[in-house]
Amino acid sequence: MDFLTFFGNDFKAVMPELYLFTACLLLLSYGVIFSTSKLLNYPVIQLNVGWLTIFSLFITLSLLVSSPITTMSVFNNLLIIDAFSTFSKILIVGSTLICCLMSMSYLEHKQVNSFEFFILILLACLGMVCLVSSNDLLALYMSIELMSLSFYILAAYKRSSEFSGEAGLKYFILGAFSSGLLLFGTSMIYGFTGLTNFEELAKVLTGIQGVSDAVSYNGILIGITFVAVALLFKVGAAPFHMWAPDVYEGAPTPVTAFFSIVPKVAIFALLLRLFFFTFHDFIGFWQPIFLYTGVLSMLVGSIGALYQKKIKRLMAYSGIANVGYMLIGLGAGTVESMTGLIIYLIIYIVMMIAFFSFVLGTQTEKDSKLNTYVSDLVNLGKVNPALAFSVTFILFSMVGLPPFAGFFGKMYLFLAVMQSELYVVAIIGVLSSVVAAFYYIRIIKVMFFGTSNHYTTYKTMDKMNALVLSSSLFFLIFFFAYPEPFLMCAHKAALGLCL
Amino acid sequence: MFDSSILLSLVGLPLFGIIILFFIPDTNPDLQKNVGLSTSLLTFLLSILLWLKFDMSTPKYQFVEKFFSVPYSNMHVYVGVDGISLFFILLTTFLIPICLLASWDSIKIYIREYSIAFLFLEAVLVCVFTCLDVLFFYIFFEAVLIPMFLIVGIWGSRERKIRAAYQFFVYTLVGSVLMLLAILYIYAQTGTTDIQVLTTISFDYQTQIILWLAFFASLAVKVPMVPAHIWLPEAHSEAPTAGSVILAGVLLKMGGYGFLRFSIPMFPDASIYFTPLVYTLSIIAIVYTSLTTLRQVDLKRIIAYSSVAHMGFVTIGMFTLNIQGIEGSMLLMLSHGVVSSALFLCVGVIYDRHKTRIIKYYSGLTVKMPLFSMVFLFFILANMGFPGTSSFVSEFLVLTGSFKSNVFVTTMATTGVIWGAAYSIWLYNRVAFGNIRTSHISAFQDLERREFMVFLPCIFLTFLMGIYPEIFLNAMHVSIIHLIEQVQ
Repeated sequence: MDFLTFFGNDFKAVMPELYLFTACLLLLSYGVIFSTSKLLNYPVIQLNVGWLTIFSLFITLSLLVSSPITTMSVFNNLLIIDAFSTFSKILIVGSTLICCLMSMSYLEHKQVNSFEFFILILLACLGMVCLVSSNDLLALYMSIELMSLSFYILAAYKRSSEFSGEAGLKYFILGAFSSGLLLFGTSMIYGFTGLTNFEELAKVLTGIQGVSDAVSYNGILIGITFVAVALLFKVGAAPFHMWAPDVYEGAPTPVTAFFSIVPKVAIFALLLRLFFFTFHDFIGFWQPIFLYTGVLSMLVGSIGALYQKKIKRLMAYSGIANVGYMLIGLGAGTVESMTGLIIYLIIYIVMMIAFFSFVLGTQTEKDSKLNTYVSDLVNLGKVNPALAFSVTFILFSMVGLPPFAGFFGKMYLFLAVMQSELYVVAIIGVLSSVVAAFYYIRIIKVMFFGTSNHYTTYKTMDKMNALVLSSSLFFLIFFFAYPEPFLMCAHKAALGLCL
Repeated sequence: MFDSSILLSLVGLPLFGIIILFFIPDTNPDLQKNVGLSTSLLTFLLSILLWLKFDMSTPKYQFVEKFFSVPYSNMHVYVGVDGISLFFILLTTFLIPICLLASWDSIKIYIREYSIAFLFLEAVLVCVFTCLDVLFFYIFFEAVLIPMFLIVGIWGSRERKIRAAYQFFVYTLVGSVLMLLAILYIYAQTGTTDIQVLTTISFDYQTQIILWLAFFASLAVKVPMVPAHIWLPEAHSEAPTAGSVILAGVLLKMGGYGFLRFSIPMFPDASIYFTPLVYTLSIIAIVYTSLTTLRQVDLKRIIAYSSVAHMGFVTIGMFTLNIQGIEGSMLLMLSHGVVSSALFLCVGVIYDRHKTRIIKYYSGLTVKMPLFSMVFLFFILANMGFPGTSSFVSEFLVLTGSFKSNVFVTTMATTGVIWGAAYSIWLYNRVAFGNIRTSHISAFQDLERREFMVFLPCIFLTFLMGIYPEIFLNAMHVSIIHLIEQVQ
């Protein structure tokens, strides 16, 4: 049988993924050939590859945006393309692009000098892009492994640093463990239903309660639990969060930024597809899982961050808390809560982008180091007031103060939670956001009201980070004035999955 | 045509001023100050126009216009003014220029940002008092935190300001997130957050009680009522003078306004149910904080605690739910907004000169600062409710109103007047009379022209409200009668 006729038009439909894949391979060969070329005296082509990566991500983004296909399932139902997956892909590729832009100056000054960084980011991006459109447990496992394996190497990327190696190893062991759980869960589901395809599973599982025998019913439940636990591991929700602070702290800062922004989108998109679509009939079973982990994550994240001294660790805990908010949106289990979750996700990644572009963009004048401790930011309000005020607004947004965007994210989420009549969850949620206010405000306090006489001068922020910081800040401040496009996108994406 | 855009201009003018301020270089601080002051003065003139055009014969919201709609929801942000909100807007626009003028020379760092903070505060406060939507009331109510936190934290006076800014922030946030949940619950249940619609909907008894408590958690922190008042003396004593003025003058009134606008008309049964609670807390506030005032050594803390006591009167008057009580509490809020602001300004005057607020360093100021002593005496008398000043009329009205509903409460509250006289007179005695002590402070300077011009409008208003309160009360009558009808 001819290969092309067998898949029909499938290759045209997965054009963005194909392009990304080809770009990975070409850039890898380009890097290998040129960086080892004796003729050219072993050139350092890291930045070169970086710009090519950014370029190819941009092309992928435009391919995704202009994709004419709205709904289609390809490769024998292995992957699915619909409004929701396209939307998530745009988010993933776009935020990867911005992460690359943000890391350029860091890599230049730190002289990391190995081009594989960008190839790994591209591969991880490819994994996540496939992950959100996977329509089969096998495709899920394959793409999540592609993503995770790239992540392990990225975490350990700074070879000269002990912390980085430790972070990579920790991440690898716990990540491999959670992959094992995922594999076990999928095999349980396959064993008791004989199916791996999401759509077919959804059909078979509808109304299975009471019809099938107790053994296979419970088997499926155990399978679902394992899958849920594995994905909660990957996203860093309490009580499966213990890897997050160490990995975030140890990994090089651009990688930390990448970890705290992009995978959240991918895993939450997958969680939404899996639990709102495939396992929707078991809602009474999985709802408590997400609600309890969500509440626990909010508490652990907010309280754990109170005593952190390092910026990256603080952001790791804040990430756990934010995952908690998104999980209660997931656990509420309605279309409104899903819309709320997606809006929260968009605003969360913008806030993280803004914050990390600040962290990556402020290098000390003396030895171009980044700020490690919160106390390093002391007197920033006097040294660079404009920057300090920008960070203040980002942090107010993270606290959830109106009229910044962060408030609207929380508002839509809690509105959906109230509509689902989960009052206790909502009360714990808002109170933990008050606790979270403490440590965000502490950063503001250090910047403006610090009493130390220690003044650090910083280099002028590089153009890329300045651009990213200012545009994301613009988004955060003026979101309230024109939220329609984001609300509409989120609503359409949510409806696309549910209908 | 002009009528309909007057509220928009009231919000837009300060924002326009902020935009202009961004373009003035830091090398020209005087121009920055002048732009800030003139913008706020223009806004004040515009708000006078609002008062002139206000129709006193109807309880309807006037100057109603739609600011914007929230997409995909039933939220349309209307703004409008009635007899309850009119004077709060006037109070805000009246105090902002005074704040900017009072700190003309004492602010040395971030001068542009200082003006921006106050103009932003003005725009947000006008939105708070005009917004006819519960959710957006909450949004603006919270947005006030941002400039205020920065004002206390950046321009505050001592090391303790950090702690004060923290306390202010966290106390307010804890209370108000509960209110947010209540608002979201209301929206989930009724599908609207428009106050004009919500007052026509009656919730069942249990729901009302829970929602009332959630609103109370937020509003009582702002008022502040007694167990939640700890942040107030801290924030007041650490804030710069103008920060204290706006805090005492307007921010505390947001709590009272919230009760009148939302709690009482939306949850009438719960308001009646919880009246004993409010009375008890208010009496504790009056007696306890008055006694606390007697043993403070910091001038600003004394005035801060006396504010808590006065706000106790306000909440008693509000929950008598009769016309004398509510009008009295409205007038008391206005009067307190002027009088305690002026007292903070007085403290600011001597703080600017001598950089201390501890009473023991001051004595016999009458000898060297006669003009200041006169002004200070006037406001001290106004603060204790001297006949002829605004406080007398309003406290009298509150007590008349509460006498109708509960004699015991009135008796206890009346002792507050005595306590008020005790701490006010004693304070003045220590600061202004006695021998002049040159051991700590040797150089004196009386009020300069700028400072006197700051006090003059306050003195005028205090007399006006004390001698001829009808011009203020007339505008409120119809709205408040309408409010009482809603409760019954």
